[in-house]
Amino acid sequence: MQARGARVLVVDDEPEILRALRTNLAAHGYDVLSATSGAEAQAAYATRRPDLILLDLGLPDVDGLELVERIRAHAATPIVVLSARGAERDKVRALDLGADDYLTKPFGMDELLARVRVALRHAAHPASGSAPVFRSGDLAVDLERRQVTVGGQEVKLTPTEYALLRAFITHPDKVLTRRMLLQEVWGPEYGTEGHYLHVYVASLRRKLEADPQHPRYLLTDPGVGYRFSTEPA
Amino acid sequence: MSWDQDAASPTAPAPVWRGYVAAVAGVVLVSLAIGVILSWARIANVSMLYLLVVLALGTRFGSGPAVMASLLAFVIFNWYFVGPAHTLTVADPDEWLALLLLLAASVVTGQLTAGQRRRADEAHRREQEAVQLYAVGRWLTSAPTLDAALRQVAEYLGSVLQLQLCAILLADEEGRLQPRAVVGSDTGDGRETPRWLLAAEGVPSTPAGPRRWVRVVPPVRLAAAPDAAAARRFDLPLRAGPRVLGMLRVVAAPARAPFTREETRLLEAAADQIALAVERVRLQAEANAAEVLRRTDELRAALLSSISHDLRTPLASIKAAAGSLRQHDVAWSDAERDAFAATVEAEADRLDRLVGNLLDLSRIEAGVLRPEKEWYPLSALVEDVLGRLGPLAADHPIAVDVPDTLPPVLLDYVEIDQVLSNLLENALKYTPPGTPIRVAAHVEGDMLVVEVADAGPGIPAAALPRVFEKFYRVTSGPGHPRGTGLGLAVARGLVEAHGGHLDVASAPGQGACFRFTLPLGTPPALVPVAEAG
Repeated sequence: MQARGARVLVVDDEPEILRALRTNLAAHGYDVLSATSGAEAQAAYATRRPDLILLDLGLPDVDGLELVERIRAHAATPIVVLSARGAERDKVRALDLGADDYLTKPFGMDELLARVRVALRHAAHPASGSAPVFRSGDLAVDLERRQVTVGGQEVKLTPTEYALLRAFITHPDKVLTRRMLLQEVWGPEYGTEGHYLHVYVASLRRKLEADPQHPRYLLTDPGVGYRFSTEPA
Repeated sequence: MSWDQDAASPTAPAPVWRGYVAAVAGVVLVSLAIGVILSWARIANVSMLYLLVVLALGTRFGSGPAVMASLLAFVIFNWYFVGPAHTLTVADPDEWLALLLLLAASVVTGQLTAGQRRRADEAHRREQEAVQLYAVGRWLTSAPTLDAALRQVAEYLGSVLQLQLCAILLADEEGRLQPRAVVGSDTGDGRETPRWLLAAEGVPSTPAGPRRWVRVVPPVRLAAAPDAAAARRFDLPLRAGPRVLGMLRVVAAPARAPFTREETRLLEAAADQIALAVERVRLQAEANAAEVLRRTDELRAALLSSISHDLRTPLASIKAAAGSLRQHDVAWSDAERDAFAATVEAEADRLDRLVGNLLDLSRIEAGVLRPEKEWYPLSALVEDVLGRLGPLAADHPIAVDVPDTLPPVLLDYVEIDQVLSNLLENALKYTPPGTPIRVAAHVEGDMLVVEVADAGPGIPAAALPRVFEKFYRVTSGPGHPRGTGLGLAVARGLVEAHGGHLDVASAPGQGACFRFTLPLGTPPALVPVAEAG
């Protein structure tokens, strides 16, 4: 269960959705603020400094993507965007602009709570740069010695595979768009070569996953990208 | 515009008085000739020479002059050449017979030849009329637009009938006459076509009586100029049944003779043809509008029936489940409570899919679909789709033959995901549980070919050409068809937006194989990360 009192700002112009989110989040111990427009959201953000923002991209007064950009410009507050069906591209853009996660409407409540939990935890323990060894389940990555083991057995990775894995474990549980991964691993001039990612992810799965057909670490976010899951399968 | 005044005209019949003059002259000449001949030799039946004159007169001038010549010949011959001379009495009964025969033969010959002549003229005029009417009819049917046709007819009539002006006015929606084609030479002194002549006005409510010429009376205010031309202006109503569709308005050229009966007939026939053409165009437009309405109605009816069923079914389930949960007088077990909640979620998902398809369809139809393409390996997409369908596909063994080695394709992930999902859902929906489904892909030329085949009952031949129509559902077997009739229409629209094709091959009992293509290209290359990275 999440630490009590984490303050969540919910921004949506649909009163029914707002009500459902408020009720559920409050029931799970969150301190919930709500806003029905971009202007209200900015005001609430400025005065109350929430720990997390749940942001619907389809706001009446301001482009949700712009809001993401404005907030990200001066704070790392985790942002989970909510996007309607038919606006799939917007969520990818929101992620590229720095949003932490997304949910497509209609979404399940437990899914929403899981994303909120992950985003808050991620914010509380930023990139594991300090820890020399990353551990999740039976996977261990020694970042100093560039050594990867699964259940104590060393696994040989190619430089590309290792670079990709490192990108994943630097942002555990965060969805990474194809563009982000390409730029992080290959460099800022890349972004359209996403078809290679599939190949490298597939080979990483073959080496790291117990069942590559049903991965537990390297999950695909169809149409968006991939995420490294630290949740037990 | 000016017209060629040299209108083609037939050999017009000569004026009647000339015929009688010719008759007198002919008979006198022949009489002189007979006198000369008789002074040389006594020739029996020399009077037959008169028949030549009568024949000629009948041919050239008709029966009147021919009969007159016959009588004149009879009298003159009797007077001068039949004894006793210079009397009208006849001594010899033989001569009587000859004279009477001459008279009878002349009259009959004259009548016959004149009749012949009349018929020849008539035939010529009819032919002329037929040619002119044919020309009018051809303009009316062959011109690309009604206005072009009207203009050509007006030009033609103006030229054939030597009109100063020929205008075709049609009633607009409010029943006011609007000029649609105006052709004519300027009035003699260079003024513009008088405005009153073309001024819009109401359709005269002439009763459906016999057609008659209607003289145009210029409005008083504008008729200040003494108007000799007024007598040359005529209106012919364009009628379709009892309704007056418009007006054929003509002004004869100043120097021309009054319209003959044939010319009047031509104008009337032309007016009829114009009216027919106008009516035909109107009916065609009405038929088109009716067809559009009918199709819209059909579509609306299909949409309503589809929506009323496919939206209401999940809504009813959701409402029932939510209502049950709120019944506080019933002590639901946790499992029951959970089942209700699961129903609400599952049915909401179903609604979401339906709305998604409707949304896609409307975007496809509005032409606002712009795929945002990226390079993807198809195998990854197929994996994702199958993973997402998971529970839905539990009853069907699905064989996948999409090698990782296939070249990547430039596609909009969301859209092609939708295509594959729709094809797979279709196969799952229309085949009995346990029916194997196969997803395969291969390269053919510069296209990637993807196939979704099932071993189900197949699609009836009659339904095959229609399965991609929206709201069309194959109704095989009892019960309500299960689909929304949107999935395949959406799939085809999305594939076509990618520059590919979606088709189906099926035979009853042989299963159905949906097959779509996506164009291949040259993906950008990526080098492996160096060791030091």
